[in-house]
Amino acid sequence: MSESKAAAMPAPIGTVPVGPIGGTTVGRKHNDFIYYGLRNKKLIFGLGLELLLVLFAIIGPMIAKYGPQDFTGAQLQHPNGTYWLGTNTLGQDIFSQLANGIRESYLIGALGAVSAAVVGMALGFTAGWRGGILDEILQMITNIIVMLPSLVLLVVIGSYMTSKSILFEGIFIGLTTWPWVARAVRAQTFSLRSREFVEMAKLSGKRPVQIIVKDIAPNMASYLFLVVILLFGSSMLIAASYDFLGLGPTGTVSLGTMMNQAQSEAALLYHEWWWFIPPGAVLTAMVVALLVANVGLDEIFNPKLREQ
Amino acid sequence: MSVNVANLSVAYRSRRGDVTAVDNVSFTLADGEIMGLAGESGSGKSTLGNALIYLDQRMKATGGTVTVDGRELPIADTRAMRPLRMTEVSLVPQYAMSALTPTRKIGQLITDLLKSHHVKDTREVLTEMQRRLELIGLTEGVLSKYSFELSGGMRQRVTIIMSTLLNPSLLIADEVTSALDVSTQRAVGEMLLEFRDRGYVKSVIAITHDLSILAQVADSIAIMYAGRLAEKASTEAIVNEPLHPYTQALIASLPEVGVRADQVTLTGIPGRPPSLADPPPGCRFRDRCPFAFDRCTQTPPFEEIKPGHHVACWKVSQERAAASGRPVVGQAAAEHAV
Repeated sequence: MSESKAAAMPAPIGTVPVGPIGGTTVGRKHNDFIYYGLRNKKLIFGLGLELLLVLFAIIGPMIAKYGPQDFTGAQLQHPNGTYWLGTNTLGQDIFSQLANGIRESYLIGALGAVSAAVVGMALGFTAGWRGGILDEILQMITNIIVMLPSLVLLVVIGSYMTSKSILFEGIFIGLTTWPWVARAVRAQTFSLRSREFVEMAKLSGKRPVQIIVKDIAPNMASYLFLVVILLFGSSMLIAASYDFLGLGPTGTVSLGTMMNQAQSEAALLYHEWWWFIPPGAVLTAMVVALLVANVGLDEIFNPKLREQ
Repeated sequence: MSVNVANLSVAYRSRRGDVTAVDNVSFTLADGEIMGLAGESGSGKSTLGNALIYLDQRMKATGGTVTVDGRELPIADTRAMRPLRMTEVSLVPQYAMSALTPTRKIGQLITDLLKSHHVKDTREVLTEMQRRLELIGLTEGVLSKYSFELSGGMRQRVTIIMSTLLNPSLLIADEVTSALDVSTQRAVGEMLLEFRDRGYVKSVIAITHDLSILAQVADSIAIMYAGRLAEKASTEAIVNEPLHPYTQALIASLPEVGVRADQVTLTGIPGRPPSLADPPPGCRFRDRCPFAFDRCTQTPPFEEIKPGHHVACWKVSQERAAASGRPVVGQAAAEHAV
């Protein structure tokens, strides 16, 4: 795992040729990351594409002429001047649905990533720092959550709920994906807590929370940063698959629901490509851009991966 | 009398019962005294040093009290000790070179330290710190650097500065010179003296195996053997007229200036120290001691033979008693100690 290596070993900034902006003492590390960031094609590509999509998620619903669930009256239109991406069998505007769907995907991605990261880090740091019986208990909980089939759980919980919100879906995804974060953070904390600078921090009378925040977490900062990005992408994918199965939030249109409708109306069979290709392509682009940016960031944080 | 350690015992928990690494140790340190604590590996020097500031989960204090400036330290209560660390008692660890968090700049580390001790007048402390940095030949520039941008010796000095920043009453310097070249050793030794003279620290316990550096720096030397103190006296007394057979053997094993290897072969002390998991009764140096006699199966008391000169040895007690015509310190004392 290259990112954990990057986390465990601080970049020997002083020894790397720093380029035109190097040489100053203050803020050198900061500049270093920007210097390599601006020269990393993967990061530029991934981040650029992602920014475009985010921009679309913000502006799209504003410029859309119809609400995502409005019936325009014109059914199964090919893309044209009025209906930019055509309409579906119910006469709903695909562009409006797509713009709304992207916005929702990002919302759920953020909710899922944040809740998984918060729970995972809290439990990981606690288990790794305290160790002993508390660690055993937390590990047991983690293992149970790993084993839980989240799809079945969602079906069961969903059957008790009359309506589901985006907030519910985002947090549900977060609460079922945190174990991987918790495990990695726990393992890193275990290795870091016996380091000498942590011993010194204890000797100097710092409180445990302070030691974790100031001395341990920064040493895995790049890992934490990357894992949040990965969680973001995977939350969007999981949300799309839940929606595709009809388990998603009620009363809204997401990328997954669009594909669900297209599938149930046999859009593929009737070559209604404008119905199912846009949501699929956009979802793929969103996740791929994140992953490419992630690889780029990994190269920036880990000097060993940098291209010479 | 700024530091008083009375009958301190510290044990390590293990599955086969407690291992007493520091056994019934008592000593006092005057204000401004630098005490060297010497002994071979595993004799409990570092355990004693650590016990005075931070008992980790494996360790427990099984008895005794530590008083600093008339105030008893709650050494067994790690939470109550927290505000006292670095303000009353401070430690420069064995690993001083790697004791600085690599992801934070030295300046940030110091601000963290001040914050965690709720220091209000940060500016005054920081000006004071700059003065001290200059004193030991570092510039203010180190504050905006990360620890890995400094050399080993610089990191060591920064750690010492940080440990003494809040003017602790007692500084424990654990092997601060062991990883350094001889000239830097000397410089660090002088730094300790300077800090003591300027009142940054009141008393110092310098833990080391290196008796020669202690001879230059320390006012008094305590020799530890297998978890107990064997002898404590002024540096001159330890170097010139050691009384305990172990101290004598230690001093004899040091090379002398001008003596060549073909003239004299350096001698060591034959044998090994006993295991502390199940130590034999009586004097622990007995098996290696050339003077051992039947009395040595009882634990010798740590007795003041001359003013300021404490020894735990039956032979020494007996000789002194014979010289002064008084009876040997009684059987009662021995039984008490056992």
